[in-house]
Amino acid sequence: MDLLAQILVNGILLGGLYAVMAQGLALVWGVLNIVNLAHGAFIMLGAYASWYLYTDLGVDPFLGLPITAAALFVLGYALQRGLLNLVVRAPMFNTLLITFGLEVVLTYLAQLAFSADFRTINPPYAGDSYALGPVTLPMARLAAFGVAVALTLGMWLFLLHSRLGRAIRATAQNLVAARLYGVEPRHLYAVTFGLGLALAGAAGGLYGTVSQINPYIGATLTAKCFAISIIGGLDNPLGVLVGGLFLGIIESLTTLYVGPTFADVASFGILVLVLFLRPSGLLGRAA
Amino acid sequence: MSRHLLRALPALAFVLCSGASAAPAAPTIVLGASIQLTGPVANTGRYYRDAYQIAVDQINAAGGVKIGGVPHTLALKIYDNQSDVNLSVRQYTQLVTQDKVNLLLGPFASNFALADSAVAEKYKVPMVQGGGASDQIFSRKFKYIFGTLAPASNYFGSTVDMLKALKPVPASVALLYADDAFDVSVAQGTRPLLKSAGLQVAMDERYSTNATDFASLLSQIKSKKVDAVLVAGHETEILNFVRQAKSLAVAPKLYSFTVGVPSEDFRKALGADADYAFGMTAWLPSAALKDRWFGDAEQFAQAYKAKYGYDPDYHAASGVADVQALVRAMEGADSLNPQKVRDALAKTRFDSLYGPIAFNAQGQIDLPQVVIQVQGDKLAEVYGAKGFITQPKYPMPAWDAR
Repeated sequence: MDLLAQILVNGILLGGLYAVMAQGLALVWGVLNIVNLAHGAFIMLGAYASWYLYTDLGVDPFLGLPITAAALFVLGYALQRGLLNLVVRAPMFNTLLITFGLEVVLTYLAQLAFSADFRTINPPYAGDSYALGPVTLPMARLAAFGVAVALTLGMWLFLLHSRLGRAIRATAQNLVAARLYGVEPRHLYAVTFGLGLALAGAAGGLYGTVSQINPYIGATLTAKCFAISIIGGLDNPLGVLVGGLFLGIIESLTTLYVGPTFADVASFGILVLVLFLRPSGLLGRAA
Repeated sequence: MSRHLLRALPALAFVLCSGASAAPAAPTIVLGASIQLTGPVANTGRYYRDAYQIAVDQINAAGGVKIGGVPHTLALKIYDNQSDVNLSVRQYTQLVTQDKVNLLLGPFASNFALADSAVAEKYKVPMVQGGGASDQIFSRKFKYIFGTLAPASNYFGSTVDMLKALKPVPASVALLYADDAFDVSVAQGTRPLLKSAGLQVAMDERYSTNATDFASLLSQIKSKKVDAVLVAGHETEILNFVRQAKSLAVAPKLYSFTVGVPSEDFRKALGADADYAFGMTAWLPSAALKDRWFGDAEQFAQAYKAKYGYDPDYHAASGVADVQALVRAMEGADSLNPQKVRDALAKTRFDSLYGPIAFNAQGQIDLPQVVIQVQGDKLAEVYGAKGFITQPKYPMPAWDAR
């Protein structure tokens, strides 16, 4: 029983991290209709930025998150204005090609800059844990989970209640009508992509405190974020949080009851099931 | 200037030029390889590129390879396989068919060597590789593949011997391994060893290659109160394993890893958290390992560090031994003919900075693994063929008591 409780807690904490990683991918996909295959590579960049801030400048990884996020926001804004706006209304295949190319370029630039060596963001408290009865709560994961929930709620409030957020949603729903109301789509697209990357940057910082970093972690992370976005739905950030938690728990339980090699089988099996039964995601509006 | 002289000028120039290069360049022997210079395993792949290069440079500096009384220069033709097995196979095919290299050196990692050795076999060009240890590579009766890593099935052999000698003997053992050619071979070899040692196996789990989350496995280790944990996996996984063990406060009496512990980068990435980790190596840079080209293993390690800025581990030594084995075989055969070199390889016997090189009928060498442990900022030799060398730090204390 204690073990099951621990496994569930592991799953929930893992799921929170998953959710924050997938949040940016889902936003960009939902609003811009761009499946950003470079998303994982941007998480990797965020992780390296966090690592650099911590090891070279002594900035605590959690305090460094806003800096990393801001830097990636600027990068995202520029990329959308300079590159991706060119293909925003082109067939999906073009955006896939461009973002895949970005992924390759970023990965190899990272290897040039940082070599293939492994890095870890290892502040003194990274290995600390709280004991809650028989259950151990790893502090870094708990903090990552807290940030994940805060970012999700923040995104949700922002999209629902802020002027900019409403403009973003309006553009996603009806570009022509949004234009009539004075929305400038090119700027808005860039803000959205910037936000997506800011979330990836923050997620990278959190990821680096629990996992090792190397230039090649991106592709696997993109695949995971892709699955979570589909399972949770692209409509709202709460769906992505639910998708992440769901996947984290399923993977942990599968590892315990079936075997660790089946964790990936389970997550992608669920992806297929969700696509089949609820194509717009667990919390998405029924199609 | 007279017309005759003008006409003679080109001829004069020709004579002068050919005079300048009158000493004919030594004929070149090209060794081909496809290595992971980029991609997820580039971190270990670089050991092989660097080792091949330093070995070739050293041998050339010492006069090259004498065949038929003529000194030949060694050269390398290396492709980057981007950590992609399929690309690696295509590149080896290209090395043999298009580039017409003389002989082959290996890639890193068992799954690569497993696939690439088929190319060597098909075209009957010998490949000496020091990056693949899986027994699968050598169990196919291939004639053109030779390996300088100790067999994967026995990687944990010395560790299991040590477990029996520890006080107290661990009451239970967990065996975790990744689902690839090398780690599956390790697990297959370790299982009977644990059984005959009378150790109780509490967990025997295969996990996906590139797994990043070990929380569930670690929670099971804690819940079953496993004493000794043996992990056969990749460095990235083992880094995550150790960090997550700390964050979940999982401290078995001992854990040991097939890879990572001997490499400097691994210890750097973990910092103080690497302390107490056990590992194994078939090679340590000792002055007792005499070598024809480098003097001894210690001198080699210094030259390597000076050239590349990082310490060599057994991968590097094994890579150097590959080049040396080919050179010895060419000298032994007194020929560049691939078949003759192959036959000479099968018979070759010599002492190198890596240890004694002699291939068995399957083409693999056997070297005993020494158990090592990170003790503070040092890497200590703990247990070898003759028992304990230094006292192990055992049992490992709880994480908050370090």
